Amino acid sequence: MIPNRPGSSAATELELRWRSSRHARRLLTLGLAGLFFAFLARRPEFAGLAAPALLLLAAGRGRRRPPRITVRAKPTTRRAFEGERLAVDVALHIIGDGTGESSVRWRLHPGLEIAPVGATAADGRQARFVITPERWGRRQIGTLEVTLRDRWRLAEGHASMALPGIDCYPAPARQRTTVVLRRLPNRLGEHPARTSGEGIEFSGVREYVPGDRQRSINWAASTRRGRLQVNTFAAERSQDVVLLVDSTSDVGEPGSSALDLALRGAGAAARAYLEARDRVGVITYQWGGASWLAPALGRRQVYRIIDSMLSSDAGYARGASFARLPRAALPPGALVVVFSPLLDQRFVEALRDMRERGFSMLVVDVLNTEPPARRRPEDRMARRLWRMEQEAIRFSLRELGVPIVHWDGEESLDLPLAAHTRRPMAARR
Amino acid sequence: MTGRLRAAVGVVSTRAVAGAVAMRVAAVLLGAGCLVWAALPTVHRGYAGLALTLAIAGVAAGGLRLALAAVPVPSDSYWPSPGVRAWRTFLDVVRQVPWEEGAVIGIAWLEVQHPSRPWHTAVLGAGLIAYLLIVHLAESDAPLAALRPQARVLGLGAALLALGAGAGMLPAAGPGAGSALLRLVAAGALIAAAGLVLPYVARRRPQD
Repeated sequence: MIPNRPGSSAATELELRWRSSRHARRLLTLGLAGLFFAFLARRPEFAGLAAPALLLLAAGRGRRRPPRITVRAKPTTRRAFEGERLAVDVALHIIGDGTGESSVRWRLHPGLEIAPVGATAADGRQARFVITPERWGRRQIGTLEVTLRDRWRLAEGHASMALPGIDCYPAPARQRTTVVLRRLPNRLGEHPARTSGEGIEFSGVREYVPGDRQRSINWAASTRRGRLQVNTFAAERSQDVVLLVDSTSDVGEPGSSALDLALRGAGAAARAYLEARDRVGVITYQWGGASWLAPALGRRQVYRIIDSMLSSDAGYARGASFARLPRAALPPGALVVVFSPLLDQRFVEALRDMRERGFSMLVVDVLNTEPPARRRPEDRMARRLWRMEQEAIRFSLRELGVPIVHWDGEESLDLPLAAHTRRPMAARR
Repeated sequence: MTGRLRAAVGVVSTRAVAGAVAMRVAAVLLGAGCLVWAALPTVHRGYAGLALTLAIAGVAAGGLRLALAAVPVPSDSYWPSPGVRAWRTFLDVVRQVPWEEGAVIGIAWLEVQHPSRPWHTAVLGAGLIAYLLIVHLAESDAPLAALRPQARVLGLGAALLALGAGAGMLPAAGPGAGSALLRLVAAGALIAAAGLVLPYVARRRPQD
């Protein structure tokens, strides 16, 4: 569960639209049919047949019905991950007379990509509905329909209201290991650097010089060599990591499309690098431009990053240029982890441009679909050309020194990244 | 959240499902029982065949409507398949047409075709009102106790039903149509008198 306050519960006043119920219409039909047949056939027993229905209708006539109600709907949280359960508590207050005589029925009409868990209807002044968002995004929970029935169940008051929206975060993938650059900025962190310093990882032994701490003397080496020797340790540094998410192409089955995988992978990477005390930022590349969040530390940064990715609204404009991004968004020497299906040529050109400017990059390829296989020779030829083009794009990036790993979205991200997490990644200039 | 909370969470209890199924089955059985009660012995005049068809269709489709009440309508899409469109149309027809009204008219029409049998008609009237009440309880998933406030009025209605049947059994004062009309007017006056008494009978008791 995402740490978050429960959603607000502002009361909404609704006007009831009263009308006769189906039950009343059926009773009226029976009453009128009985009277009609009684006069038609001149048989008084049919008037008796009509009597109970007409009496029920007469008894329920002229009752006071409340014109308005107040409904309070409160989701237990406003933020949830995909597949996570959350509840919506609803309560009703009747304004005006007849408050003790009405029965209340709720019906939930779930919004897009919102699945109800259990029943979608409930009785009583208060009720709870459990739902689960199925796909990331800003989602409307749905519409709530309230039906009040009077004591005689002859009239029904209807009202409906839109439930508040929630932010559904992509379910993060699994990633425990991190890619670390060989050259790290001079900032305290947890990654052992190549330079010696005050860390805890042993890096070698050297001769004692005045000023060295006594506790770092290596007595075994000193006895062997006849001179005082001290242990040296690797300095511990942190790095800047920029996650670059390509949201220009969303291909594949909904739920496991390229954009789904890119967001889930970026969420997992953000979590893994922030746990390693790195500063992590995000750039979301889209048709309307590039939205960005400067690298920062801390657990809250995960949610800021996901919020930034969700709020990026794709429009139709010219592609973004990373040259225009401020230095804060893309600090020099940062590791850039790219999540992209590499389908958009302009995005690939932007990657080449970044590489030529000296950024260390790693591309996670999230393309897991192909054009449909058809029988016609032209279609097969087009498919082959498409594959060759894709291979050419990946080859050109590898030639520039950009490693590319493929991720299918099912396995842990540690597996495709294993070749780059075992040792520090060298940045080729 | 305090107070009486009927949670719509998780698994619906087996007892609730059994209660809902029983209510639906009872509605269909009552409708079928009224239909058979009114149709036998069979008659072949005054469009009795049409009335029988109308009543059978009304009871059957009404039962189908109750059975499909919990089935969700397929969500909107830009290009639904023919199967989805047909299913949506079918659900719309089943849910929108007032089947029970048709069944009631058909059953009453069948009863009219028979020679006068007042107590038989009175039993049919009790069956029809029970059928409509059970249908309402089934469609609104309400318990039987929801009818408790109406018990007195229903008792008064049953008394009028019996009086109507009694009036039907009285021998006519004369052979003309006027005497039958007179009995009818008497029955109508009785209903009107009951309507006047009604506010005192149906007054809400404090414990309701």
